[in-house]
Amino acid sequence: MNKFKAQAFLALALALCVVIGAGAQAKPVEIELWITGTASEAGPPPADWAGYRIVRETLGIELKLSLLPTTFTDQDMKINAAAAANRLPDILHVNRDVFIKLAKQGLLAPTDELMKKMPVRTKTHYDDPLRNKLAMYKGRMYGLPDPGKMPMTDGWVIRKDWLAKLGLQPPKTIEDFYQVAKAFTLNDPDGNGKNDTYGFGAFIETSDITNWGLGVRFDPILGAYGVAGVWDVTGAKNFGLNVRKPEFYDAIQFVARLNKDGLIDPDWTTLKKDEFRARWKQGKYGIMRENFAALSTVANYPAFDKNFPDGEWIPIPPPVGPKGKSSEGMLYVDTRIHVVSKRAIDAGKGDAVARLLEWFATDGYALAMFGEKGVNYTLDADGNISTAGLPDPDKSYAKSAMVPILQLRNLASVNSDWELLPRYVPHKTLNGRTIRPLEIWRYFTTQPWTEATAALLIEPPANKADFERFYTENLVKFALGQQALTPASWKAFLAGLDKLGAKELEKSAKAKVEEAGLLK
Amino acid sequence: MGRSRIESSTPPGRTLTRRLSHAWKFRGMYGMAILPVAFFLVIRYLPLWNAQIAFKDFSPLDGVWGSPWNGFSNFAAFFRSPYLVPLIRNTVLYSLAKLALGVPAAILLALGLYETGHRMLRRVVQTLAYLPHFLSWIILHGILLGLFSASEGLFNEINRASGIGTINYMGDPATFPFIVVFSDLWKEMGWGAIVFLAALMGIDPALFESAQVEGASRLQQVRYITLPGILDVIVVVVLLRIGTILDAGFHQLFVLYSVPVLDVGDIIDTWVYRQGILNADYSIATAVGLFKGLIGLSFLLVFNRLAKRIAGSGLY
Repeated sequence: MNKFKAQAFLALALALCVVIGAGAQAKPVEIELWITGTASEAGPPPADWAGYRIVRETLGIELKLSLLPTTFTDQDMKINAAAAANRLPDILHVNRDVFIKLAKQGLLAPTDELMKKMPVRTKTHYDDPLRNKLAMYKGRMYGLPDPGKMPMTDGWVIRKDWLAKLGLQPPKTIEDFYQVAKAFTLNDPDGNGKNDTYGFGAFIETSDITNWGLGVRFDPILGAYGVAGVWDVTGAKNFGLNVRKPEFYDAIQFVARLNKDGLIDPDWTTLKKDEFRARWKQGKYGIMRENFAALSTVANYPAFDKNFPDGEWIPIPPPVGPKGKSSEGMLYVDTRIHVVSKRAIDAGKGDAVARLLEWFATDGYALAMFGEKGVNYTLDADGNISTAGLPDPDKSYAKSAMVPILQLRNLASVNSDWELLPRYVPHKTLNGRTIRPLEIWRYFTTQPWTEATAALLIEPPANKADFERFYTENLVKFALGQQALTPASWKAFLAGLDKLGAKELEKSAKAKVEEAGLLK
Repeated sequence: MGRSRIESSTPPGRTLTRRLSHAWKFRGMYGMAILPVAFFLVIRYLPLWNAQIAFKDFSPLDGVWGSPWNGFSNFAAFFRSPYLVPLIRNTVLYSLAKLALGVPAAILLALGLYETGHRMLRRVVQTLAYLPHFLSWIILHGILLGLFSASEGLFNEINRASGIGTINYMGDPATFPFIVVFSDLWKEMGWGAIVFLAALMGIDPALFESAQVEGASRLQQVRYITLPGILDVIVVVVLLRIGTILDAGFHQLFVLYSVPVLDVGDIIDTWVYRQGILNADYSIATAVGLFKGLIGLSFLLVFNRLAKRIAGSGLY
């Protein structure tokens, strides 16, 4: 009897172990993911998003998703705060400055081993040796350099209807640009009888050491003088800060002239991106540098269209400077660096992380890009994305209400034509004109650009706050006329930069770029 | 000898019993104190442990204790900044201006509300004065832009219509400080008046009745009864503000400042944000925080003594 009891107890214990073991096995691995959403104006996928369920059921992963704040500084702050507490999530998106800092602090896991566990993703996403260099620290990969945003997305555009109204031709040279901007400011191009337009619209848009100063919205103007961007990385001989070139002085002088003559929105130093975009949609600007999608997609264009059904933005070549130079801006091999925290690997989540990322490149690719097949999209006979035959057309991936379920596109996208065509669909304006966003983008890609990928490798100096302030503040003050722009004041500005360590910064930057083999 | 000493002192058991019985007697008071004490322990005192990273080269992986010591180099990094003097100047001037204008304005508002005989008027003014406190600086930035924007702000519309031309209020170092100080005044005046209004309510009405019988005017009553009646509160409020003299309002400046006004808009906290937080230099951020705390404490000690000597009352 006792023997029977013991056997029964043993059997029961074994059964319990099996049940508990099975339960433990079935318990999904929790993966925390911080990602930059595809659309800044929309929220994260809803709790009932199919992706959560599929990932749980097929990969055994409980996905905890957070969208990072939309501005670079807020993103960095959130990530830095988590890093300070050693509480980074398992996977997150970082910019290169933060990437370097996290790698230095030992908070990131090397990714070379991880990549072996995701063969398809490695082939489709990490096949560019140049891009891979951007995710390296001390010769080893600590990041996953996913294809970034489409290249050459931002370019020089002008109000065609204003040109027509004033009988002007699109400006070709920098001086033409000045004259057209003047006419747009003074000659009431919208015909409303008010003095409420500006030839040029811009704001200070900077994010990192490659675009301090006036920021990227001024790149075509600086490009006309051959000095777009903070750095010249086009060759070993001329490597260094662009401000050292006399042409930079000329470019700032030109901006100062624009500002003095009131041809640029006087709020350009205080405007934020949303305010800037609200203003061109209100018909304040005639010429600007803008992102093709922000300018023309079906989600972004209607606000302008509603105000100005006959208004029309067209891309034009960036202005040509006195020495025949021109540039839309800096051209990077763009990447979106996703990193895996050391904490995640230490917690044994490496396999789950690889499984998840591989899924986004394989079975989950279409779901991330366009939603559920048969619900949010269909495929036509050629296998292209379509919305024909959807049971509920309101659930089409192209509807703005569906944007939240597409917020993870950045984890899947490879910028193929198959992706891009349905993302940037042609659409009709209120007066029946057809807008083809991709045509605007393709136009930008045919224009001159300044190669600057190597500049992404440059690390900011230790005294970043002071250096950046000194650099940006002085250039803006020169442009505003708050500080007289003379050869002497410019010399003093350069001397001030040197005092803050500009020469040392250039030296270390050059070494870094040379080490990566990116300096010709 | 030993025996007599034992006999002469209070037995430890009895002291404890007495203390416990005292605590039990005032259990209500002690009960009420539990939460605030816990708050200060957890939120204010426990984090002091982490302040040691001001003297360390902090690495999140090594943790607070494991990171290597580096002496005063983090403080030195702040003191080496070429912007040190303007940063401190801006911080102190904004703080003082907000104190010098904010406290009298709040007192005046409280006096006005207290003195008015119209209940409805008092309620309306009170509510309107409190409201801006609840608006974030982001919203206020939008409102200020609507008023002061160079291209489409209300004031510039008026300026242009009257031939004055455009003034870039938000981007001009000459006008920006006024916007900072007066927007803060507008936002916080109503909220700041609450404490003075409460103090005013505590003044014995018999004093006013006696003064009226003696023929004192309203102004004389304010001068000789009301203001002395709330002097202690004024001293406390001013001293507390002096204790945070190096907190000039990060949120406000961070939202309102822009590149052309950095000369007059950059304060210690915005510098720390850029160098310490965005640049992940936590040790520098902590060192500057510690420096600010020490300066605040020194000011508090000095001014508390001065207040006691001049006004006869202080914080402690």
